[in-house]
Amino acid sequence: MSIGSRFPKSDGAVKADGSGVYTDDIALPRMLHAKILRSPHAHARIRSIDVSAAESHPGVVATLVGAEMPAKYGVIPWTQDETALAVTKVRHVGDAVACVAALDERTADEVLRLIRVDYEVLPAVLTPEDALEHPEIKVNERAKVGNITKHVHLQFGEVDEAVASAAAVVRETYRYAGSTHTPIEPHCAVARVDADGNLTLWSSTQIPHYVHREVSRVLGLSEAKVRVIQPLLGGAFGGKSDPFALEFCVAKLAIKTGRPVKILYTREEVFYAHRGRHPMKMDLTVALDAQGRIAAVDNDILIDGGAYASFGLVTAYYAGQLLTGPYRFGTYRFDSYRMYTNKPPCGPKRGHGSVQPRFAFEVALDEAAEKLRLDPMEVRRRNFIGEFVETVNGQRITSNGFLKCLELVEQASGWKERHGKLGRGRGLGVAGSMYISGTAYPVYPNEMPQSGVLVKLDRSGRVAIFSGASDIGQGVNTLLCQIAAEEMHCDPRDVTVVAADTDLTPVDLGAYSSRVTYMLGHAAREACQKLAAKLQAAGGATFAEACQRAEAAEGVPLAATGGYRTQKLGGDYRGGTIGASPAYSFTAHVAEVSVDEETGIWKVERIWAAHDCGRALNPTLVEGQIEGSVYMGAAEAQMEEMVYDQRGLLFGPSLLDYRIPTSMDTPDLDSYIVESHDPGGPYGAKEAGEGPLHPAIPAIANAIHDACGIRIRELPFYPQRILKLLRERDSRGEERAAS
Amino acid sequence: MRPSAVIRLRVNGEEHALAVPAQRTLLEALRYDLALTGSKQGCDKGDCGACTVLARPRGAPGRGEAILSCITLAQDAQDLDIVTIEGLAGPAGLDPIQRAFADCGALQCGFCQPGMMLSARALLDKNPKPTLPQIQEALSGNLCRCTGYTQIYEAVEVAAGMRVPRQRAPVRSERAAPSDSKAQAVKEIVP
Amino acid sequence: MMTLPDLTVLRPASVAEAVEALRANPGARVLAGGTDIVPNLKYGMYDTQHLVALRGLSRELRYVREAESGDLLLGALCSIDELAGSDLVRSRLPALSDACGQIAGPQLRRMGTLGGNLCLDTRCVYINQSHFWRSALGYCLKKDGTVCHVVAGGMRCVAAASNDTAPVLLALDARVKTVSPRGEREMPLRDFYLQDGVHNTVLAPDELLTEVRVPAAASARKQAFGKLRMRNAIDFPALNLAVALDLEGESVRSVTLAVSAIAARPALIRRLEDLHGQRADVRFAEELGRRAQKQCKPLTNIGIDPAWRREILPVLVRRTVLRAVN
Repeated sequence: MSIGSRFPKSDGAVKADGSGVYTDDIALPRMLHAKILRSPHAHARIRSIDVSAAESHPGVVATLVGAEMPAKYGVIPWTQDETALAVTKVRHVGDAVACVAALDERTADEVLRLIRVDYEVLPAVLTPEDALEHPEIKVNERAKVGNITKHVHLQFGEVDEAVASAAAVVRETYRYAGSTHTPIEPHCAVARVDADGNLTLWSSTQIPHYVHREVSRVLGLSEAKVRVIQPLLGGAFGGKSDPFALEFCVAKLAIKTGRPVKILYTREEVFYAHRGRHPMKMDLTVALDAQGRIAAVDNDILIDGGAYASFGLVTAYYAGQLLTGPYRFGTYRFDSYRMYTNKPPCGPKRGHGSVQPRFAFEVALDEAAEKLRLDPMEVRRRNFIGEFVETVNGQRITSNGFLKCLELVEQASGWKERHGKLGRGRGLGVAGSMYISGTAYPVYPNEMPQSGVLVKLDRSGRVAIFSGASDIGQGVNTLLCQIAAEEMHCDPRDVTVVAADTDLTPVDLGAYSSRVTYMLGHAAREACQKLAAKLQAAGGATFAEACQRAEAAEGVPLAATGGYRTQKLGGDYRGGTIGASPAYSFTAHVAEVSVDEETGIWKVERIWAAHDCGRALNPTLVEGQIEGSVYMGAAEAQMEEMVYDQRGLLFGPSLLDYRIPTSMDTPDLDSYIVESHDPGGPYGAKEAGEGPLHPAIPAIANAIHDACGIRIRELPFYPQRILKLLRERDSRGEERAAS
Repeated sequence: MRPSAVIRLRVNGEEHALAVPAQRTLLEALRYDLALTGSKQGCDKGDCGACTVLARPRGAPGRGEAILSCITLAQDAQDLDIVTIEGLAGPAGLDPIQRAFADCGALQCGFCQPGMMLSARALLDKNPKPTLPQIQEALSGNLCRCTGYTQIYEAVEVAAGMRVPRQRAPVRSERAAPSDSKAQAVKEIVP
Repeated sequence: MMTLPDLTVLRPASVAEAVEALRANPGARVLAGGTDIVPNLKYGMYDTQHLVALRGLSRELRYVREAESGDLLLGALCSIDELAGSDLVRSRLPALSDACGQIAGPQLRRMGTLGGNLCLDTRCVYINQSHFWRSALGYCLKKDGTVCHVVAGGMRCVAAASNDTAPVLLALDARVKTVSPRGEREMPLRDFYLQDGVHNTVLAPDELLTEVRVPAAASARKQAFGKLRMRNAIDFPALNLAVALDLEGESVRSVTLAVSAIAARPALIRRLEDLHGQRADVRFAEELGRRAQKQCKPLTNIGIDPAWRREILPVLVRRTVLRAVN
């Protein structure tokens, strides 16, 4: 029932019977409903806003404009460039401009149309190329130079020389179009102020601690008077790891009206909130020596960031820093520009900043291997970086089960017998990847623990664990029960987890960068071990009895805390810590596809995925993360794209226009867990929430090549693109036959 | 106050009288008027299935077929017997579907799952031993973003008594020897 | 939530009452299964404040029966799911059964009706959006605006017919019955549609489609339905088509081919008479595909690459024809 077992989720019952409370399930007495007025322009100056007609409308209780909350915020302290509502300018279609609180939602909606905004429409830049070419069209004033959010240039070794002397060089452009998270639960926030001025904010957020800080600061409140609670959350994937307009608005309106206020985003508004995967154009060079070893990797990356920075500073680093395993790079260079554009801002989506370069690299590696007539499996084995080594950019790799991952998917897919042999229209492709288990970078600089846990024991034998971590569906609350059982030998079903309530729980930085299992695991283990020692010393026939005896011996209630902070990690250069992780996970996929050469329509038949998570604290949860990740990667390859027209309008902000796979569009998924027992991870564990996504996209691209000899280098792999490449292949073949 | 009329809904075997405007949807009535928040709002226009409930003509046997409550007017549900996720469990506890979804890991964030479980329940009521393609088709109107659907299929098959939850064990990766790394010498670190 | 506008929902107890309600409330719209009108109302696509609910008309309008002549009579309030699962429909009109099984997703098939699908509003990426989105666009020809964003300078709306039952029933020479305060009309389905994306049927505002009649001869025809969509569920068609053939031995005596999801009117491919007498083989199927391609010009209205759809249309036609024959 404890570590390593398939212990059923501790919140399974409330999710199964519909009693679980998500933020929109909260209804408070006299609660008002608020709606946000949004910009119809991609770029415009606000000359004036007149809310008087709205304010005097019966049923309207209060209005709100940007000037009432002018303090800038942003999840990264160095790039705080957003305001809760637009103050001077709007920077994308859908940018929040004003807010109305009314007795019911319909009234709030209707009344938005009564708000008069006088816009001076400005020229907009909608592509990163335009943003570079037109520095005079300033999207966001925070940018010091033109429209550059961040530029990173890092080089490790003599790249140009290595390329010049290489045996096989691939130089190609790879493109990723941009996707978003579409959690099934839209963002929702509820705020209430009590008579003593204490503000409570319930929000579907994966970063309650950062929201706590930012809401307090922007509203000018002491953090001690603000409480942020994250109820059950219906999916996030990185789309709920920024503070958002609705949180500030409900808080401010609750203060203004003295009544509770709720905002529930429509699905359309979720698209405007966005923070999804950045479009990237990657001019990538991969050079192999005569033995097929990677001599040089050189990537020029142009990143489309949208109107605000969000995590963009980190993205510009991650785009290069996270590529340096599981293979050894002889030399490495990357140059990334993250640009501001007049579109909804991009941010972290599962596999933040690294999914796109991984796609490009794993395809380029196959292309280079092809030039040397090397099997794709073999070239990956040949470049395996090993365990307990340092990468070319100074990252410290500890446990590394990549070879076992490759072996498993090679066997399961029948690679040796089937790759290159399935006949026209059917093929197998392989890809590998590496991902961080949290980073050493705490977003805002401080020396405090990045994860903390408080454990309390009751005389009844009931355990209470207070954890600041966000369970966003991945099951971290369940892991806490298992850790308690493992260390203290209590029944894991007798554990109450109090989570993500800033009044009650210690700080945890949030569910992003796959940090939670690793960091929270350590914190929980520490706290439980302290108590375990006391219980052991006290003795007792049952757990409850031990609790009573220990409490008697202590003379105070039985409780203990645990915390975790990463040590200093990373290369000794500017940006060296970004991407540095206490442990890395490793993944390998083989994808099998079929391609209809007459139409370009293709299908992923099956994906075998093997993921080294160090130790599966709960194999069912890990498999869920693997399969959910693989599904999401395949979805991006097949059909997901944020498409904008020349006005900056998104086509279209709904789950009908922006397609995500149904059950009938998802391949068979065969997942394998590999355990490399990381010496630094809690019980040997590393991450499993983001790593398994990465190889899906390039494995599919490489499988398409096996199936019909074409190289697709642009996402999504729309049938029309496949068909075009097939036609080009055929005319090349005709030329060759003719010559 | 908008003009409203009294309607009568029968939900989970109980009669309710509500005063609602004509344009109130069934989902709004369930969530906001009856405090049955188990049915979820994901897109509010019929694209995602999170609002799925079961419906049958009043008095008809069984539990009903899956429909979308966000695009059904509450008024139009008066001649129906509605079952929401809250009504799936019985006095003996969770329905086998609910139990299986919980046991197989199909409940990650859980938000799409009330709708998913009800679609699955309706499938098994009609077809007690479905094939995998039949399961996929029956659930094709319910979008899930967390699971990749695999554990959901498994849960349906477990609930149908067709299999047990998977037990595949993790595979140990032995410590890599330096020779396993055929790449050129790398800078080793002390663990 | 996207709240609906204030509505008055009228609940007639008979067809006569229903059409009278439509007449008495100009601008009123019909509410059957609601699967299209409710989302569209949430998007503010209609200014109507009155809905005439047909729910009470099941006895009059929900049936699948065979007339003495052998014609199949389908009531407009049959659910899509009901038609897909009907043994009578499956055995006599397998292409219709097929098409119904591929409409939308399972829940929507249960709620949606035959009449609702035949009268489905045309679709375009520029109109099927929220009011906010359309105001940011500057509206369009179909509603509140004067510009078509699909055809530069276009004066006629080209929003696409997106129903899957229409091509099948066209290919099978179905006829429809309508009722209005002025009485009953009956016409071939091919006369029912107009090349006008704003309103692509001949229905008057106070007229209701009540029944579809499929001639007995249809059951003897080799028939098949084909649909292209980006996902295998939920999505509207990116292209759809239906073919029906009368064979004499291995020769084609007559062929009807309907293609839709192009423009406002489901298209019957014309000038196929010279193919009569040919063998129903691959060459024949390919030729049909070529002719369909000549006569169909996909547009950007549904947001899926029109050049690609045009390029693969002959392939889809060929495959559907061969399926019908075999």
